[in-house]
Amino acid sequence: MDRVVLMLSVMSLGVSSQPITDGQRLFSIAVSRVQHLHLLAQRLFSDFESSLQTEEQRQLNKIFLQDFCNSDYIISPIDKHETQRSSVLKLLSISYRLVESWEFPSRSLSGGSAPRNQISPKLSELKTGIHLLIRANEDGAEIFPDSSALQLAPYGNYYQSLGTDESLRRTYELLACFKKDMHKVETYLTVAKCRLSPEANCTL
Amino acid sequence: MKKVLEVILLLLLLVVTHAKGTRYSPPGKPALTRCRSPEKETFTCWWEPGSDGGLPTTYALYYRKESSDTVFECPDYRTAGENSCFFNKNDTSIWVNYNITVVATNALGRTFSDPVDIDVVYIVKPNPPEQVAVTVMEDKGWPFIRVSWEPPHKADTRSGWITLIYEIRVKLEEENDWEMHLAGQQKMFNIFSLRSGGKYLVQVRCKPDHGYWSEWSPSSYVKVPDYFHREKSVWILITVFCAFIFLILTWLLHMNSRSLKHFLLPPVPGPKIKGFDKQLLKNGKSEEVFSALVATDFPPKSSNYEDLLVEYLEVYIPEEQELMLEKSMDLDVGCLKCEGSASDSDSGRGSCDSHTLLMHKCDGVKEEEERQAKEAHGPGYWECGLSNKQPHLLHPQAQAQRQLQARSDDNISSIGRKQTPAGLHSPARRSTEYVEVERVNEEDMVLLQPVSGRCGDVEGYPEMPYGEDYSKVKGVDMDNMLLLQREVREETENCDTSSTVTTTQKPAACIHSAMPVEGEMVLGVNGYVDTATVCTPPTY
Repeated sequence: MDRVVLMLSVMSLGVSSQPITDGQRLFSIAVSRVQHLHLLAQRLFSDFESSLQTEEQRQLNKIFLQDFCNSDYIISPIDKHETQRSSVLKLLSISYRLVESWEFPSRSLSGGSAPRNQISPKLSELKTGIHLLIRANEDGAEIFPDSSALQLAPYGNYYQSLGTDESLRRTYELLACFKKDMHKVETYLTVAKCRLSPEANCTL
Repeated sequence: MKKVLEVILLLLLLVVTHAKGTRYSPPGKPALTRCRSPEKETFTCWWEPGSDGGLPTTYALYYRKESSDTVFECPDYRTAGENSCFFNKNDTSIWVNYNITVVATNALGRTFSDPVDIDVVYIVKPNPPEQVAVTVMEDKGWPFIRVSWEPPHKADTRSGWITLIYEIRVKLEEENDWEMHLAGQQKMFNIFSLRSGGKYLVQVRCKPDHGYWSEWSPSSYVKVPDYFHREKSVWILITVFCAFIFLILTWLLHMNSRSLKHFLLPPVPGPKIKGFDKQLLKNGKSEEVFSALVATDFPPKSSNYEDLLVEYLEVYIPEEQELMLEKSMDLDVGCLKCEGSASDSDSGRGSCDSHTLLMHKCDGVKEEEERQAKEAHGPGYWECGLSNKQPHLLHPQAQAQRQLQARSDDNISSIGRKQTPAGLHSPARRSTEYVEVERVNEEDMVLLQPVSGRCGDVEGYPEMPYGEDYSKVKGVDMDNMLLLQREVREETENCDTSSTVTTTQKPAACIHSAMPVEGEMVLGVNGYVDTATVCTPPTY
């Protein structure tokens, strides 16, 4: 998987005809990595859904209406307009927080199959990368180290407090939320990258 | 009154019919069929209405966003058509779960559809790519198609809000199978390996990184120019194929040449002689072969091996004597036999040619024959074994030869020429009498008379008249050379019998010309060298 990601990053670097700066290279790597994580999350979720029976599916649908995601406290732009209005730094910081919020809970994703075991280290690496990007792009902006530490604890308890009956529900919620958050990070990073790149068609 | 009654009746009828014919009911359950967002900024939902229950029914869509219990109604029922709800940019939130329900209402009640949860991110289905341009380009003489397009104008790929990947499909106009190509995020693609002179259809579609494939763009047509001479290639192929087949046939022919030869030119059959055994011949045992063929009485079983040996000798006759012989042979049969008479096959020299010679001389041959008969009187010894009716003037050797000829078909020849009257001596010992020609009568018949009692002739050695052609052997010197006498003696005979020959032949005379011989050679009375009597002294 690492090789695929590296290859993707190299290819994405190769596509661009203009000389790539260090920041752009980092952006490309980060985007490719988060894309990969999102694909993983999608696959996990679909595998889980297919393993459910129809009765359970109906119940879960009802339950999920309540929409408890651990990252709900993080305010993030929810449409294109808001996203484009946000600065690159803001986008990067939100991404950072999102990734960080999943670093711990991703370990509780039932670690049996290989993909799930790889999620946590990948998240850590991604977090490091985004941090570097923030450093590269910050110009006196704020960093929120304390709030992240504060926010981890309650959600860790939240997921552990649930009983075994709720395991199915918890897994479903975890997987759905994880998938959504990864897509958010992917979108934010892509938008930020495109905004920073000189050429107009940045998605080439 | 009547009018009122009629109206009442009509009303009653209407009520009755209505009550029986139609059934009002609450509306059937509608169902949300799909919701789609073309650019991840707006979206539309469509539903399928149920039965209306016979009454006019209205539909309403209500939705609820996640983490809030506020129920909203669809802001726009018209933009997207009938039975649809359009959410514009302001009403659309990404990464937010919408819970949507459709409600059907009629006079009798309302029915709720099943709720549907959607997240706009996962229902994106973009519009097809636009401005699809297909051009034929050339690469070192080989053409290829370049396809270029633009993303749908609504999709914002420029800011990175949406990332699209594209797919192209190509096919020949007359075929049914499409050739798919995944183009990734690029907006241009080259297609190679085209058929010369073919007409192609090209279509493009796109898909966001997480979403649905768009519809195919309208077909773009392109014609590839002829770059390959089909006729030429076909002829080349045909030529190569024919050459190949020709080589194979040649090889086959060569392999089967022997059997083919036998088929076309059958071999000449071998000899089919009755009793002839090929195998014996192959083995090399000629005696066995011949013994199988010949009659039992041939070769004549003789106790004397030397006799046999002599009889098998092939006699060489000089041409002059042969002519004489030929002529003499024909004396009784006439000249007419020149044409088809059997040739002297033993010697191999007797042919019709010599006979033709005789033919020319046939007219004035009589005198010659008589003369020759007289000339040949000397050497003309006849074996008395033969009947007198066959007075052939023959050379003694030829006589033996004829004897052989009469009894055998095979060519029996031996080496050497031997002038010997040996053959004559042996029959002489067999107590045969010799005859000599007396005269030739008018009918060309040779009259013979037996030769008897001559002086000095104990065994019946006939006298030898001297001919001018003969040379008398005088003697044999030390070196085994024959010394010849030229003079001819003119001794008259004192014998009883006298041959009165009317020819000019010289009278026979007794010959006392037994010369002492040294060595092995013995001269007979007549002057001939008798090889047969080498060991025996002459007795006279």
